[in-house]
Amino acid sequence: MSVLRPLDKLPGLNTATILLVGTEDALLQQLADAMLKEDCASELKVHLAKSLPLPSNVTRPRIDLIMFVVNLHSKYSLRNVEESLHHVDATFFLGRVGFLATGAGRESHCSVHRNTVVKLAHTYRSPLLFCDLEVEGFRATMAQRLVRMLQICAGHVPGLSALNLLSLLRSSENPSLEDL
Amino acid sequence: MEKQSEDPAAAEPASSGEEGGEGGPPQVAGAQAARPEDRVSLLLRLRAQTKQQLLEYKSMIDANEEKTPEQMMKEKQIEAKIEDQEAEIEEVKIAVEMKKLALDSVLMDHMKHVLKLNKLIMKSQQESWDLEEKLLDVRKKRLQLKQASESKLLEIQTEKNKQKDDLDSMENSDKIKTIQQNLQMEIQITTVIQHVFQNLILGSKANWAEDSAFKETVLQLEKNLTMI
Repeated sequence: MSVLRPLDKLPGLNTATILLVGTEDALLQQLADAMLKEDCASELKVHLAKSLPLPSNVTRPRIDLIMFVVNLHSKYSLRNVEESLHHVDATFFLGRVGFLATGAGRESHCSVHRNTVVKLAHTYRSPLLFCDLEVEGFRATMAQRLVRMLQICAGHVPGLSALNLLSLLRSSENPSLEDL
Repeated sequence: MEKQSEDPAAAEPASSGEEGGEGGPPQVAGAQAARPEDRVSLLLRLRAQTKQQLLEYKSMIDANEEKTPEQMMKEKQIEAKIEDQEAEIEEVKIAVEMKKLALDSVLMDHMKHVLKLNKLIMKSQQESWDLEEKLLDVRKKRLQLKQASESKLLEIQTEKNKQKDDLDSMENSDKIKTIQQNLQMEIQITTVIQHVFQNLILGSKANWAEDSAFKETVLQLEKNLTMI
């Protein structure tokens, strides 16, 4: 199937799966390793993909969270992400999609404007996180955040759902979006 | 195009995360003792997870059953609608929080009431305990008195028995024996005197049957003193 749908398969017991989509292989691999090192009560599975659609010949578990990684240094990664977004079902955007912008630390190398990514995230009503994945410390913190988000999106946290998280994350962003 | 990385290293500590996650080597005896509790906690976690996931699936089904607008609306209208609905969600969330706060305050009242009642219960239990203690004391005293009276009666009985024994033994005492001997002596002496008088009278060949006073005296002499 060419379109990713959420909740289309039964969940694995105590398992949470995240899909990282981005062109920066090395950064994604490092982020995946950092996430797997995190202390978590549930089993974590990290899938990496350069772009969507994913090959359909592979059996994969139910994907709980998709993070699109955009490198602010390359316009190609932004275009890649934009094209991959078409292959995601609309219902996925109810809290199970997030955008991660990396490379904002080195302002001189940024070819993609920060506002572009902000608008992209606003269009898709999904949370946008900024993190310099090349720095070890920030990467570890981001990995922690992603693990928490993943747990919530997989339904491992009683009383908190992905939608809930989405509205929680949104309320802090809204004031800045009204300036756009 | 796609790479997978699973968590085999983390799978082990994940499933036994509770026992190894504290840091430091787990002690064998402690780990063995903690395992059934870990299983229970794992099961409880899985239960909570499954509940949450079921809730999510249910809400998805309910959302899919809602009718979507058929006509194509302009993008601005769609955005406006989305923002309205988001505001609705916020309002509902605020209402839920207020209700939670209200419930909490009602809960607090109930808890205070429950605490008061508990204090009363404890007080009355204490009082009843004291009264039972007093009852126990009184019963103990009654028992003691009974035992004392029993011992006193026993004493009386022994005293009586002793008196009886004394009386019986007195009869066997020496004084009585000497008195009895004296009595026997006197009787013998008197008997001898009687015999002497008898023989005097008989030897005198006087007719003692004629005179009544004489007859009386002789018959009296005949009395066997040992029979008295």
